[in-house]
Amino acid sequence: MMLKKTLLLMLVACTTFAVFANGEGERQPKPESEWKIALVPKDSTNAWFVRMEVGVKEFAADSGLNAFQKGPAKTDAAMQVQVIQDLIAQDVDALCVVPVDPAALEPVLGEAMDKGIVVVTHEASFQENTMYDIEAFNNADYGAFIMDNLAKAMGGEGEYTTMVGHVTNASHNEWADGGVARAAEAYPNITLLDSEPRVESEDNMERAYEKAKELFKKYPNLKGVLGTSSKDAPGVSRAIEEMGLKDKVFVAGTGLVSECRPFLESGTLQYITLWDPKDAGYAMCSLAAKILRGEEVADGLDLGLPGYENMQFAPGSDKVLIGSGWIVMDKNNMDEYNF
Amino acid sequence: MSDYILDARGIRKSFGGVKALKGVDLSIRRGEIHCLAGENGCGKSTLIKVISGFYEADGGQFALDGESFTKIAPAEAIRRGLQVIYQDFSVFPNLSVMENLAFNMELMKGHRLVNRKRMRHIAEEAISRINFEVDLDERVENLPVADKQLIAISRALLYDARLIIMDEPTTALTKKEVRSLFDLIRKLQAQGISILFVSHKLDEVFEISEGYTILRNGQNVAHGDTKDLDAKKFAYHMTGREFAEETFQPQIVESNPVVSARGLSSYGAYSHVDFDLHPGEILGITGLLGSGRTELVQTLFGLQTHDEGQLLFEGKEVRFTNVKQAVEKGVGYVAEDRLTEGLFLPQSITLNTIVSHLDDLCSKTGFLDQSQVNTEVNHWIQELSVAASDPQQPVQTLSGGNQQKVVLARWLANDLKVLILNGPTVGVDIGSKYDIHSLLRRLAHAGLAIIVISDDLPEIRATCSRVLVMRDGSIIAEANPATTSEARLGELITGQA
Amino acid sequence: MNTTLQKMSRRTEPYILGAIIALSLLIQARSGQFFTGNNLVDLARSMTVPGLFAVGAMIVIVSGGIDVSFPAIASLSMYITTKILLAADYSGPVILAYIIGGVLGLLMGLFNGVLIGYFRFPTLVVTLGTSSLFIGIMQGVLAARELPVPPAMFDHGTAKLFSAYNTQLGLSSDMPVQILLLVAVLAVTAFLLRSTMLGRGIYAIGGDEVSAKRAGFNVFGTKMFIYGYVGVIAGIAGIARACMMRNAHPTNLQGIEMIIIAAVVLGGTRVTGGVGTLTGTMFGMALMTIMSNSLILLGIPTYWQKVFTGAIIIIGTGVSARQAMAKRAKPRKASPSPSKAPQSQEASK
Repeated sequence: MMLKKTLLLMLVACTTFAVFANGEGERQPKPESEWKIALVPKDSTNAWFVRMEVGVKEFAADSGLNAFQKGPAKTDAAMQVQVIQDLIAQDVDALCVVPVDPAALEPVLGEAMDKGIVVVTHEASFQENTMYDIEAFNNADYGAFIMDNLAKAMGGEGEYTTMVGHVTNASHNEWADGGVARAAEAYPNITLLDSEPRVESEDNMERAYEKAKELFKKYPNLKGVLGTSSKDAPGVSRAIEEMGLKDKVFVAGTGLVSECRPFLESGTLQYITLWDPKDAGYAMCSLAAKILRGEEVADGLDLGLPGYENMQFAPGSDKVLIGSGWIVMDKNNMDEYNF
Repeated sequence: MSDYILDARGIRKSFGGVKALKGVDLSIRRGEIHCLAGENGCGKSTLIKVISGFYEADGGQFALDGESFTKIAPAEAIRRGLQVIYQDFSVFPNLSVMENLAFNMELMKGHRLVNRKRMRHIAEEAISRINFEVDLDERVENLPVADKQLIAISRALLYDARLIIMDEPTTALTKKEVRSLFDLIRKLQAQGISILFVSHKLDEVFEISEGYTILRNGQNVAHGDTKDLDAKKFAYHMTGREFAEETFQPQIVESNPVVSARGLSSYGAYSHVDFDLHPGEILGITGLLGSGRTELVQTLFGLQTHDEGQLLFEGKEVRFTNVKQAVEKGVGYVAEDRLTEGLFLPQSITLNTIVSHLDDLCSKTGFLDQSQVNTEVNHWIQELSVAASDPQQPVQTLSGGNQQKVVLARWLANDLKVLILNGPTVGVDIGSKYDIHSLLRRLAHAGLAIIVISDDLPEIRATCSRVLVMRDGSIIAEANPATTSEARLGELITGQA
Repeated sequence: MNTTLQKMSRRTEPYILGAIIALSLLIQARSGQFFTGNNLVDLARSMTVPGLFAVGAMIVIVSGGIDVSFPAIASLSMYITTKILLAADYSGPVILAYIIGGVLGLLMGLFNGVLIGYFRFPTLVVTLGTSSLFIGIMQGVLAARELPVPPAMFDHGTAKLFSAYNTQLGLSSDMPVQILLLVAVLAVTAFLLRSTMLGRGIYAIGGDEVSAKRAGFNVFGTKMFIYGYVGVIAGIAGIARACMMRNAHPTNLQGIEMIIIAAVVLGGTRVTGGVGTLTGTMFGMALMTIMSNSLILLGIPTYWQKVFTGAIIIIGTGVSARQAMAKRAKPRKASPSPSKAPQSQEASK
């Protein structure tokens, strides 16, 4: 008898809570000046995301909205979940997230959307719990573009392999796959190293350096490394210089001028590719604001900055919006970019 | 020069509101072996710490080697020839014998750099004083307990010791090791060194000491020459209780045995063992270590399995392959080392008592029924007279005897048919020992079948109605403890007339 | 002779050396590139900074504690030093960087020491706490970002003792000068642990703290020394790391503590304290370094590398632990003592 009563009480409590929770989903419209748009990067200490914050601040200045960046102290999925939970508790209106591990974020982003918070992601094209995912470009196209740069450096022939931060990182692997596809179709004399087609740098310059040295020892015929993480190109370049392989082995990939400058100057590294994280940060906030205002999101969407003025949905998707925001930097134009 | 190496008068010491020492006297003559006895918590340890300088007394004074003190620094106590050998011997198990012997001296002299030659010299001198042969480069943890004690003794002798306090020195030793320790103590005495022997073991006190002092609740209750003391007085002074010498007469022994063994063998442990155990009797099993006695009872509890023969439980053949099967049949086992095998030391008395039958104490909702738990635990605390202020007290704060009672309580809280006790009162003080013995007799009278394994012959006489003597894996004799002398039992056990 | 052999067989070092040799031969067989000058130089380089950390971790474990704060101490010392030198536009010799880093490490280590030695908090809790605290200071108070290193540190990072050439493949590797730092720390620590009463006191405290106090060791002072010294090593290691990476990355070292502690235990240091050698520690670190820098040479697919690494750690530390257990079981057999309970308790009062 007691037990039944207890159960009944619990049931009532649950239903009541559910009703309230639902009610909360229907947010009361707030004036724009009270909106809070938070951008959560992978790692707030990383130079890349420091640059992204510049974009967030620029957007805040341009729009007059309250947009800010807040991220975990290191690249750690669990810490990122914590940050997002804190922000939900602080009652933000929009969350712009660059996930460390998209799968690990599904529950917390789902929770945010249930509470009526606008969720926009970046570099997470398979994220389920997001309204829209912005990609600066099509991942396969970007990978192909890195491959073009690597092929140019390699002189159109030789053996290469690919390096990713972690084999679980979606974007890095899509870029690498795009590069591999590009090589297969456009460069008949460039072949993938079958026995070690993908190595991990753990997003750590020291590990990229150590792994590269191991590769060059084990595979003396290796002529190129296609890097994806921003730590890959500088780490591999350091190994090339130290081992005396300059002009014999080449690397291309994503990179920051601040970390790659000495290698671009010496010519060990000829091109680094990149999208400006500042632009991506700006674009995410801009999209979030449009959704909050109730504007329509469709092909041809203009987020108000170069590379993002004509966004297209990815084929077969109503979530992934793609721009064309990549840039190439070399010895000549590197001083235009202060990050 | 005074006749006394130590003469302490009216020492008082309190911790918070608790009076640990209420004006205690202790006098030891030069070259005397003196025994300080008392149950756990009587103030022995506190008194030693006051004399050796680790505590400062609240009142009273003591003369050490002729000089009078109200308080003393540890270093001064050492200069006055006082050395304490602690129960744990204060050795470094991870370091070599040489370092263990030489460190104290090196530190006292203020050396900052290690000089292995000098340390070896010190170590050699130390062991030579008692003709102790040991590999100086061996790690101490690889040595037997008795050698660790010898290290502690030889280290103490380096300081020109005139009074050595040995705190419960025999606790961890085998009988043979105790004998050689006593020989050594007599040799030290011959060199004019006084020994304060702290113990609560009656036979040892009689064997080694000349004078004795007994403390109870922080007070002197008796002192004098050991030759004027007997077992009964000793037990009375220690506990303040009179103990009648009792033997066990089974009342109603049922004719049907609860456990029977027929040709029971376990390769390498025991062979062709036959016995019956009836409800209402206490069966003793004695024998040397390695005689197979422990393995035999472990078979009854599912800790070992037999290889040959029959084990019958209430007439039906059984073969226990794990403890659970034995427990379900109503067998309880109190192990030799109750601490590693039996108790959850940091947990409360309550939890330790009820842990083996939590299911019975749950209410229908699946939660523990607290009032039932409290009733039960209080019942056992009273029944077994566990000396505890609070059932929530962690078991590790209890004395050995009270810990043993908690283990018993746990088993008794289950519905038992057979209770097996292996060395039930090893390391237990006299009062608790009598309590446990009388409890066992009461339980047997109530119809429980009990097996007691012990090499403490007075204990067997006090509790058992029959005793089986094991040697080399076989039962070589069955005796009636009431009519067999201890000497005869001893002969049976060792096989030497 | 026989007893010497027996004693050897009870130590961990011969086993781990055997494991190193076996792994080396396996790598050589799979790649033909292990026993080459440049590969060995590469390994020495990869071991430099972890090797420094391992020395510190071992000292703490020998004393009966455990320290997980050294990566945080290293990172914060390194970061503040870099920032100061950049702000001052410093162009003098690199020794100043090491001095600042060492002093900062010392202060943080002493902070650990006070909490552990004076307040007697458990070492793991203290160092977990201070680890968070130091990282918090770096990220909260200093808003740490990746920084390029000042010229003195950059030049020091590119300086080499010699280069090893592999004529067959036309490869070269530079032996970094920082390896001398490891050699120096090893030499000083070896002297300290073997030949000073302070060093023996570290072992004594790890064996039995109460006995150490009774024997006359200054337990508090020794603990302060341990954590201070380990702090200095961490601070210096942080500077060396930044120089060698030519980049001051505030979070790059996080997580390294588990690998270092695993290596120390692998090298025969007893987790419960009192036993451990520098030789064993360096062997353990060498095994871990070889392993994590030879997975490609071994031809283990990227997807399986973590499984392989985990298996080696479990097997290696398992062997060490089993040996320790076997040793502990031995004296019990020699003297069956049914009850030692009341005494050990009294001793701990």
